[in-house]
Amino acid sequence: MSLVLIGVNHKTAPIEVRERIAISRDDLPETTRALAAVPGVAECMIVSTCNRVEILAAVEPDAAGLAGFLQRHFGLDPALLAPHLYEHRDQEAVRHLFRVAASLDSMVVGEPQILGQVKEAFAVAHAAGTIGGQLKHLLQSTFAAAKRVRTETEIGSNSVSIASVAVELARKIFGSLQGRTVFLVGAGKMSELAARHLVQQGAGAILVTNRTLERARRMAESFAGQVIPFEQLHDAASQADIVISSTGAPHPIFRREHGQAFLHRRRNRPMFFIDIAVPRDVDPAMGKLEGIFVYDIDDLQAVAAAHMVERSREATDAEALIAAEVERFHQRLLTVNVAPAIVALQQQAEEIRQTEMRRAQARLASLNAEQMTVVEALTRSLVNKFLHPPMQALKQAARENDAARLESLCETWSLPAGATQSTAPDDEGGEIS
Amino acid sequence: MVALRRDLAWNLRLTYYFFVVFVPSLGVDRYMFPSAGVRFSWLVAHIAALLAAYVALGFSLLASILYLVQERRLKSKHKPGEDSWWLSLDWLPPLDTLERIAHAMLEFGFPCMTVGLVIGSVLAQETVLGAGYFRDPKVIASFAMWAIYVTLLFVRRSAGLRGRRAVYLSGAVFLVMLAVLAANVFSRVHRFGPQ
Repeated sequence: MSLVLIGVNHKTAPIEVRERIAISRDDLPETTRALAAVPGVAECMIVSTCNRVEILAAVEPDAAGLAGFLQRHFGLDPALLAPHLYEHRDQEAVRHLFRVAASLDSMVVGEPQILGQVKEAFAVAHAAGTIGGQLKHLLQSTFAAAKRVRTETEIGSNSVSIASVAVELARKIFGSLQGRTVFLVGAGKMSELAARHLVQQGAGAILVTNRTLERARRMAESFAGQVIPFEQLHDAASQADIVISSTGAPHPIFRREHGQAFLHRRRNRPMFFIDIAVPRDVDPAMGKLEGIFVYDIDDLQAVAAAHMVERSREATDAEALIAAEVERFHQRLLTVNVAPAIVALQQQAEEIRQTEMRRAQARLASLNAEQMTVVEALTRSLVNKFLHPPMQALKQAARENDAARLESLCETWSLPAGATQSTAPDDEGGEIS
Repeated sequence: MVALRRDLAWNLRLTYYFFVVFVPSLGVDRYMFPSAGVRFSWLVAHIAALLAAYVALGFSLLASILYLVQERRLKSKHKPGEDSWWLSLDWLPPLDTLERIAHAMLEFGFPCMTVGLVIGSVLAQETVLGAGYFRDPKVIASFAMWAIYVTLLFVRRSAGLRGRRAVYLSGAVFLVMLAVLAANVFSRVHRFGPQ
């Protein structure tokens, strides 16, 4: 049985193609079962997110093509899908899955959602009864590898979007954002996004002002905030710890003297100005005042870009980790495959030992219980010592994937043919995470 | 304004209590400790209270300096990866946390210093008496330190002093504190070890 992974992602297929084969959460169990019904598919699962649709299956050598399933199931023209599909087999499939779960294949490398999505896809397939020993073993190793990447590299630790950079900076100034007041000057999309991030982190009161009061009112409603008339802009600003400014004003609306007045009224408590307007709303001279921090759109972008560079550096380490994990998985799989041969060898030896013990029983009748125990231990120890070299040789041959040597070892020790052909054991008792 | 008046009252009250305890201790009827053991216990209390105050002051100054460093980093729009590998300051706590530490340490250190100095004065009246006490360099420096400390607390509370100026003031108290420690060399009142 071999592993096959086929699919499309944001790198290989445009949204027009991805949306045609995207599978909704509700349809996923049914589609997974339909896939499992394809002749030759022993085990399978489907990962479907907005950036990728991937089928992972353990298939018999004579299984029908999985691409055909996608085309039939979604009624697509083969010519439409084929150029965008990728297919990986066995070790390459394992590597691809590990990379996906570790968020190395994501649009924003290091984003944390993908691991949850893979886990969910696995849970759905498990509930649909399409997961067997092989995929279970693989997915458990996948989750372990992804977790290792997350804990041992800093791939997901830095913010790479403007809004999350703004939140991160606010936290560096104020620590906890609990109870901090946010003032939205101008009711644009970007400032709304930044404000939403801040509210998620616990920011308290939201004040909104805009030249068109109606828009300010609408925005305030969505945050349960308070509307401030635009004329009272400078009076209200000193109440705010964080000011997000995005007006279309041609000249700065916050100047140095305003900053001085704010600080005086606030008894020098710091203020953070996030200026996402172009042309800028906040005079850079204001940022020179002690206690006032001004970040414009370029500053935020520069931090996000630096984080991006940092992430790609971490990604290199993560790739190395994944390569090691793939290798480890492969080794384990091979050793697991040789386990039946080892068990057979041990059984054989034990049978011989017991037969010989029985044969000698009459002659050993004069021994007392203690002496008998010694003889038992002696024979066991001898057998184990004799078995050690062939067992090591079997494991070694398995690790090196040396089929010829495995075969000759099995022959030498008269082990049943095919003892090394088995797949991973079905450890149903294992935890599903 | 109300807060300002309350702070002022708070500081004045402390000053008042300090002198109410301190001045009578210089009185003609000098107080004698009933036994050497009791005197030693008060000496330990004097040392412990002042050491606690000094340590608190040291931590406060350190937190203020780190505040300044973190503020500079935020002002200069510091980007990750700009630090050299041997000096990464990404671990620096948020400004607000540093400010709280600096302030809490000062608030803790002040009563310790006051109690320590009062006990010291009571201990001193046994050994040296009269106006000579006020001319002792150690005593003068101690009072100067206490006075600047009061000023520092007052300014911090009333004006919400942070950043560079807070470091200057904390630094000043710390320097005087070092002077107080160094003044032992010139002091007749105060000697470490057996007198």
